[in-house]
Amino acid sequence: MTARILCLTRGGEASYPNQDGAIAIAKDLDEELLFLYISSVQFLDHTAMPKVVDIESELDEMGEFLLVMAQERARKAGIKADILVRRGNFREVLKDVVKEYPIQTVIVGSSSGDTGVITEEYINEITEAISREYCVEFIILKDGNIQKTFKRDSDWEECQ
Amino acid sequence: MLNNTELKTKLLSFLGSYSHVLLIAMLAVLLAIIPGEALALTNRQEGSGNYVIIGTLVDQQGVPVADVSVKALSINGKELLEETESQEDGTWRLALIEVPAGELQIQIEHPRFIPQTLNLSAYDLDNLNEVGLYGLGEITLDREINAGFWAATLIFLGVILLIAFEKLHSTTAALTGLSALFLVSYVGGTLNPDLFIFSFERGLSYINWEVIFLVMGMMIIVAIIEATGIFQWTAFQAYRLSRGRNWLLVIILIAITAVASALLDNFTTMLLMVPISLQIGLALGINPLVLIIPEVLASNVGGISTLVGTPTNILIGAYANISFTDFLVNQTIGVIVALVGLTGYVLFHYRKDFLKKSSTISPALYKKLEENARLEDPQSLWKAGLVFVFVLFGFILGESVHLAPAVPAMIGATVLLIWLKPDVHQMIIAVDWTTLVFFMALFVVVGGVQEVGLLGLVASKMASLIGDNLPLGIFLIVFGVGAISTVIANIPLTAAMLPIVDFLTMTIPGANSKVLYYALSMGAAMGGNGTLIGGEANLVTAGITNQTNTPITFKGFLKVGLPVTFITLCIGFIWLLIRF
Repeated sequence: MTARILCLTRGGEASYPNQDGAIAIAKDLDEELLFLYISSVQFLDHTAMPKVVDIESELDEMGEFLLVMAQERARKAGIKADILVRRGNFREVLKDVVKEYPIQTVIVGSSSGDTGVITEEYINEITEAISREYCVEFIILKDGNIQKTFKRDSDWEECQ
Repeated sequence: MLNNTELKTKLLSFLGSYSHVLLIAMLAVLLAIIPGEALALTNRQEGSGNYVIIGTLVDQQGVPVADVSVKALSINGKELLEETESQEDGTWRLALIEVPAGELQIQIEHPRFIPQTLNLSAYDLDNLNEVGLYGLGEITLDREINAGFWAATLIFLGVILLIAFEKLHSTTAALTGLSALFLVSYVGGTLNPDLFIFSFERGLSYINWEVIFLVMGMMIIVAIIEATGIFQWTAFQAYRLSRGRNWLLVIILIAITAVASALLDNFTTMLLMVPISLQIGLALGINPLVLIIPEVLASNVGGISTLVGTPTNILIGAYANISFTDFLVNQTIGVIVALVGLTGYVLFHYRKDFLKKSSTISPALYKKLEENARLEDPQSLWKAGLVFVFVLFGFILGESVHLAPAVPAMIGATVLLIWLKPDVHQMIIAVDWTTLVFFMALFVVVGGVQEVGLLGLVASKMASLIGDNLPLGIFLIVFGVGAISTVIANIPLTAAMLPIVDFLTMTIPGANSKVLYYALSMGAAMGGNGTLIGGEANLVTAGITNQTNTPITFKGFLKVGLPVTFITLCIGFIWLLIRF
């Protein structure tokens, strides 16, 4: 995969504006997109019911389907997009993917209240940390529009 | 002259030749000695006197009370003549060597009951002297509300709240309650005898092993069946059959979910149905929740038509000896009518979504959907299906020989493990030990409040309220339990209600049909539809949809769940009145 722009998405209708926003940015930069879906079964931690279903695989397949939908949206806009489904902790998965692929820009949706995977504070906390560590730019979208950016600072030693 | 080695060899050879004779002789000696010893032991335990006083001790609900100290004292109460303890069935027996002159006192004591003293008059003692046996009949003990009562009650409520507010994992919460009960009994009880709730052995006696093994057996069977992908495939076929008619799609999905939930538990059913239903909804361009919320509502209702459909039914069936066929015969029609009512309401509630035209799915998406809904292993599917059918037959046929449902479940699970040879490590993981430990710990915690009489008190109050009015009893249980179940986890609620329903079944005329147990089953399960936190299946559904930015809000669920709960409880109540 040669995509330089990574877009984290949960799929679903509410994510479409931000997916479209990411596609528009990719078009401006004339770059390929990599859609990433992170699945987690943490929500099962509090339940006492038998977890006999391979729910991780079910969520992975669901995530793939959602990303295929996002991929189609990108294709219709003339942008090539790859998809990637990973499991685990949001921060750790993001770091791993940024390390593994030639990512220069990461696009995330802003927190959508209770339903947000990540809170505003969490976004602020990780963006600078990952930006500095891996020299990537962060763009935070809200309803498809750029809300905030954290640019790579060429003054940072790590990014020389 | 033989040396030592040769002597040993000859001796061993002799013993080997006549070993069977020696064995029989040894057994004969043992058989002669042991019964005599046992009799002597019995005589020592119960006294070896010729003048026997007997009785039975029960609590206010008529439940036999064990481990009650019963002493025979001379009239001035100073000389202990004989003592014993009541058995598990509440009976006790005092054997006196001689009948004292004058009068006799019988002292009855137990930490959780008010002590009683009975005086046997000279006339009573004359009868004893003449006949050699005197029966005091059934003696009812009154509960003592002491420190142990409050401790057990607070621990029970604490566990319920910890689970309800998700402060701790359910299993951890139940284990905390169990540990607290024993801590209070053994440490607190040493400082203050009133704090003693029960012993370790007594606590463990509340664990219903039939439930544990039934759940374990079904876990393995379900894990093998679900791995075949049959449910996802069925949901995909529903999508194909509906041909873009969303109202038809939701009806088929409700039916599939209800049937699946009757055979598996509703939690597992939703874990299987939600991901594929979500994909179908998104592919159709409709809000996936118009498919998913009706499914979870149907799963809570459909599950109560069989013994294994909900954990609450497993609890009720094991406690009240209600069989697989009993549930099927007495609940299914009511469940079907309730599902019709549920379907009617959701079609009305989501009418705008169902009237919308579905979008056309692209070939790539269709292919992906088909791939995600494929049958993984058709050969395993027919084998698993066959064994599952045999297990169901085992449930039905086993009733005639009083075979616990846990037996066919465990046999079925073992047959599948041998026949299919799945990854055993994976299957061991499939047995969710945290769930089994949760059940075990919960039984002990509920046993604690049963031991101190809290449940008996509640049962008595309810019995006074209901009187002889069975329809009122059914109404109170269906709607009362239903209302509580909207906010309280239904497994601990059901476990706590069982002794209460048991008492009401014994006291209300006409209730021996076990109708109140069916009322409990309906109330606990259907009530879970009332709010998002009303059932584990609801919460896990919301957890999955949240992963796709398609959240189910508390308010959003309430708008559908509460009316559906009311409709289905009404139908359930009317059905029980008609049926019984």
